[in-house]
Amino acid sequence: MQLRLRALWVSILSLAVCVPLVAHHGNVAYDTSKAVVLKEATVTKFVWANPHTVIQFDVKDDKGNTVHWAGEAGSPSALRLLGWSQSSLQPGDMITVYIYAAKSGQPVGRLNKIVLADGTELKDSALGYRDVE
Amino acid sequence: MQISVANLVVALALALTFSPLAAAQVEQRPPSLSDKLEKMGPGGPAPRRDLTGAWTGKLEPQLGDAPPLTPLGQQRFKLNIPDPFRAQSNDPWATCDPFGFPRSVTNETRGITFAQMPDRMVMLIQYQKVWRIIWMDGRPLPNNVGAKGGPETRWYGYSVGRWEGDHTLVVETAGVDDRTWVDRRGYPHSVDMHVTERYTRLDHNTMEQTVTIDDPKIFTKSFVVATNRYKWIPDQDDEEQLCVPSEMINYIKTIAIPADEDHTAGKK
Repeated sequence: MQLRLRALWVSILSLAVCVPLVAHHGNVAYDTSKAVVLKEATVTKFVWANPHTVIQFDVKDDKGNTVHWAGEAGSPSALRLLGWSQSSLQPGDMITVYIYAAKSGQPVGRLNKIVLADGTELKDSALGYRDVE
Repeated sequence: MQISVANLVVALALALTFSPLAAAQVEQRPPSLSDKLEKMGPGGPAPRRDLTGAWTGKLEPQLGDAPPLTPLGQQRFKLNIPDPFRAQSNDPWATCDPFGFPRSVTNETRGITFAQMPDRMVMLIQYQKVWRIIWMDGRPLPNNVGAKGGPETRWYGYSVGRWEGDHTLVVETAGVDDRTWVDRRGYPHSVDMHVTERYTRLDHNTMEQTVTIDDPKIFTKSFVVATNRYKWIPDQDDEEQLCVPSEMINYIKTIAIPADEDHTAGKK
């Protein structure tokens, strides 16, 4: 009986740590175990479109080289409900980006959130619920 | 280790509350407009035989389990590789090809509008701004669609409808081009597929939908492929949702391919 209860506990606890299922379109290509924080990112392009919104931005790496990143977030339809709009970003805007980078090592990823210059946080519709700080 | 039932219930509740799975269920599918409108209440009784207006559904319906496939069904199913963002996928979605029917009511189901005309119901589907005509004048569905001498197959087939009681519209569809997929999972269908949709208005603000497939060439039994629940849009202003080929190409080039490990490693 005790063993059975213990087994029940184990199954309950395993529920608490199990891996989230893939969202509307998969995020399997990304390392979702930790978000990379990219400060002083300069927006170069904001694509408010299906299937997913894409922000392209430049960030300097440790050696001072500019890296061209692309980060995806949910569809306009999903992001609109979270306070985003077509006019949320303009090329030249300076933002902080929290991103789950691709396992491929390429500078692409799925956004957790972005923080605008005025402090406004815009979260992704799929992975934005994750607390990264 | 003494555990009471009450303790277990509390533990289970806590586990579910803090589990990523629960978060995934609640948050990864972000609340849709229809989820938000669930709080709106019934808004009064359902009017008689009237679905006219704009409705918003869940982004994706509840998909039903398919029964075992026939040998032909298995053969066809193997050829369909879903997920438009995988390099090896042949999902028609990846090129913004028409969803056709019934995928137009089993995938990307954020919005439908009904407009009643004297002899027909017009159904306006938000995704890709697609419309269907459902004849309500008592005509039968055409026979021998796609066969020699018969009418042509169509991406959205041929549809007829009737009221069942005061609050349920029943739509029957046949003659669908077999290039269309049943749903995002890639289930195939034959030209002989017969689909029954039922739209039941529960109250002023709520409509439920079930989509049933009968296709003995592909599926060994008929089955409910999708159920969804739609809410009345208060301002009736349906949003625009398009799959735009150039935007899809840009997305795949900018995000999907660089993020694909195999592709980046030169394996594709």
